[in-house]
Amino acid sequence: MATNRSGASQRPNGAPQTKVCQFKLVLLGESAVGKSSLVLRFVKGQFHEYQESTIGAAFLTQTVCLDDTTVKFEIWDTAGQERYHSLAPMYYRGAQAAIVVYDITNQGGAGVCGMRAIFTIELPTRDTFGRAKNWVKELQRQASPSIVIALAGNKSDLAAKRMVEFDEAQAYADENGLLFMETSAKTAMNVNDIFLAIANKLPKSEGAGGGSAAGARRLADGEQPRSSTCCK
Amino acid sequence: MNEEALLSRASEERELIFERYERGRENLVGQIDPWEDPEFEEYHKTDRYGFIHDERLPQKTAPQKVNAEVEREKKWIKMLSQWDSPSTKEKLHRRIYKGIPLSLRMNVWSKLLDINRIKSENIGKYQKMLKLAKAWSTDVRQIDSDVNRQFREHQFYRERYSEKQCSLFNVLCAYSMFNSEVGYCQGMSGLAGVLLMYMDEEDAFWALAVLLTDKRYAMHGLYIEGFPKLTRFLEHHDKILTKFMPKLKQHFDKFGLDAILYSLKWFFVCFVERVPFSLCLRVWDIYLLDGERVITAMAYTILKLHKKTIMKLNDMDLIVNYIQVKLHKDFGYEDDVVIYHLERSMEELKRAKLDYPGQPPPSELPKRSLGMFVEPDKRSKIGQRAENFSEREKQARAAVISRREKAELDLQVLRASQSDTVSDKTLACGAPLRTSQASMDIHLESPIPSPNIKDVIQSRKHSEVASGARCDSVSGLGSRRSLADTSVTSTADLSVFSSGRSHAPDNSLDTHSIVSDDGTGSDGSGICGMSIQRAPSTAHSTPRGTPHPPSVSPMSDDVVRIHVTYNPLSASPSHLQPISPSKMKNYNEIHHKPVSLGFYTSNGNNRSTDNRIRIQVPSEELLTPVVDSGRIINQRYIESHTELYDLK
Repeated sequence: MATNRSGASQRPNGAPQTKVCQFKLVLLGESAVGKSSLVLRFVKGQFHEYQESTIGAAFLTQTVCLDDTTVKFEIWDTAGQERYHSLAPMYYRGAQAAIVVYDITNQGGAGVCGMRAIFTIELPTRDTFGRAKNWVKELQRQASPSIVIALAGNKSDLAAKRMVEFDEAQAYADENGLLFMETSAKTAMNVNDIFLAIANKLPKSEGAGGGSAAGARRLADGEQPRSSTCCK
Repeated sequence: MNEEALLSRASEERELIFERYERGRENLVGQIDPWEDPEFEEYHKTDRYGFIHDERLPQKTAPQKVNAEVEREKKWIKMLSQWDSPSTKEKLHRRIYKGIPLSLRMNVWSKLLDINRIKSENIGKYQKMLKLAKAWSTDVRQIDSDVNRQFREHQFYRERYSEKQCSLFNVLCAYSMFNSEVGYCQGMSGLAGVLLMYMDEEDAFWALAVLLTDKRYAMHGLYIEGFPKLTRFLEHHDKILTKFMPKLKQHFDKFGLDAILYSLKWFFVCFVERVPFSLCLRVWDIYLLDGERVITAMAYTILKLHKKTIMKLNDMDLIVNYIQVKLHKDFGYEDDVVIYHLERSMEELKRAKLDYPGQPPPSELPKRSLGMFVEPDKRSKIGQRAENFSEREKQARAAVISRREKAELDLQVLRASQSDTVSDKTLACGAPLRTSQASMDIHLESPIPSPNIKDVIQSRKHSEVASGARCDSVSGLGSRRSLADTSVTSTADLSVFSSGRSHAPDNSLDTHSIVSDDGTGSDGSGICGMSIQRAPSTAHSTPRGTPHPPSVSPMSDDVVRIHVTYNPLSASPSHLQPISPSKMKNYNEIHHKPVSLGFYTSNGNNRSTDNRIRIQVPSEELLTPVVDSGRIINQRYIESHTELYDLK
């Protein structure tokens, strides 16, 4: 393991200046709205048109730096198909943050996107925004009460095919105390921003929660996050 | 929107999606979004399996290999022509483990799955299912979205609405009607995608049907609601890890890594996109021959082959990435080598009676008859999700959560006993071991998993407290009894022990030593029974007593878990004291099995150097810190019979 302390700046006496907090974040939402793509963009800066479908869940980490704190996200990316829904609680258990993703075009796979140009209908089996609301409800009911929830309207690069209005989603987010942004994993728009906004909103006071879902887990001595590219 | 409108829109959507696949690529000119359809790349980037790569491929397959395959093809063609003969039966196993020649895979897979027979018994069935799907399937949208992402780097699936993409769509839609309990579940596109590389549409449909419902493969239970077979196989997988690679299991637990995270695709799609495709095909060859045992054994083999590297990865992210991404790109072993090890693993697991998790319970098998039309309910027609989980889903949740909790508990336990470094200082000032020039074997029985887990926690906690110089918050802990009695779920209190988790490399570990498994030592030196020399208590010893069974030493109530048998047959060096028989009895009562611990002098060709105690633990399951007189003298768990621990 690296010997430098996560790239945090050092005081003259050698003590790390920034504290390091670790948060568990889960991505939820309907199939093919772009959950994995958001994570891939945030963690690796990449985008694949044909992101393989997530079976079960995927796990990745990324570190972001705030003024006085380094936040390490443990990101759990879940499968969208309903059948995998039963496994989701395992992933959002103990999560301190969640991003609930919908697709602003509310459309299905690419085939249906192509179709939309010809047949302008809202596809009923693909109400990704409605599904997002259900996820929010489930989190409010089942997850830790202090969980920070962000709503992401993804595929904002396809604004021409928009089916969910920005204002509608914003109003819903305000009502429910959610962070809200429209994002595009493809163009990277607002991707880092939404994670940063979450990092800012998460409680980072020491001792908060004591390892429970309520607060950040300070890394124990000798348990160092991997050195990251931030703070440089 | 009222229900009628929703229903009619849903069916309109289904028909539109279907129509596009029916028209196919040639008839959709100008109607495919450019981003859906990457330009076809040159052939030199396409490997022999049809996958297209970003880089020019390094080299063609070596000519010798091609020649060997041509030779094997001849044998296989002969064998195919007399498939049911005894000589084929005799040779089949060996030849399949060597790999089916690529050009004949299609024929051999069809034979192994008996496709022709099934097809001839079901003439017209596939077309009927496809027709029904067009009229009724509620999985069309999900299938469409997955076809658009499956194997897009393969030449067959590269172009949107290409022939094979259409076949994939059709097979999955037809199957969603054929087996209404499964319908379509993500993962099945991977299975059907591979089958379609080697079969035509209808054959692939029947092959998929065989994989799901033939008892050799029984993948039905993997894909139905609640994934009961997955739960069962993961539990079995954990059992194998605990038995054969306990250290690796702890390593996973340490980072909260549940097997479901790294191994899901192993079980769901038989290693597709988790190992290189050439190796994946070899595993499929064997899977089609020998069935579900192969998956279990291959899962074990992968971890066995990569254990060393994985043990060095100290982050869940790194471990998962290694197992899922790195091994897919580059497995690090030749396919033949892996298959050799796979075969060994199957034998090894069979000897341990762990090769097979057992017959599937009825709940994992199809209940409705296959191919019978069942009209979907309104909810699924309009794509509405259920409000609540079904019983099956609740069970799946509970199983996963309890496995996580057990792993978390194990982790806490692990941290608890690791949280304090046994300092050399402690040893130096407290318990100078006089047993120099000795080595010892400890046989421990494993109580995991059993109600004894609490004892284990308690003993470890005690070790912790006892080792305690750095455990300042001992007084704030409340009673240890209450800690030990905490439920599985409320282990948070124990985390206090993890504060000082040590990452210092332990140089005393001698992992390269080789010693005979029987624990009697191979050095030919004299064996003597003994106890660990007890030193007077010091400030480092546990400051408190605890309700605990009477134990071998007044000061060791909290810590002692090493008991030593006296072996009267061996000469006892005068400076070593045997444990008293009465104390032995006490131990036996508690643990049912005596611990035998021998010390070897370092005469002869003993590998241990002077001033070392060599400990070997044949049990693979119980983690135990080495404790002397209330102080942990080795922070590390003794965890594998294959390794020796040298204590300075």
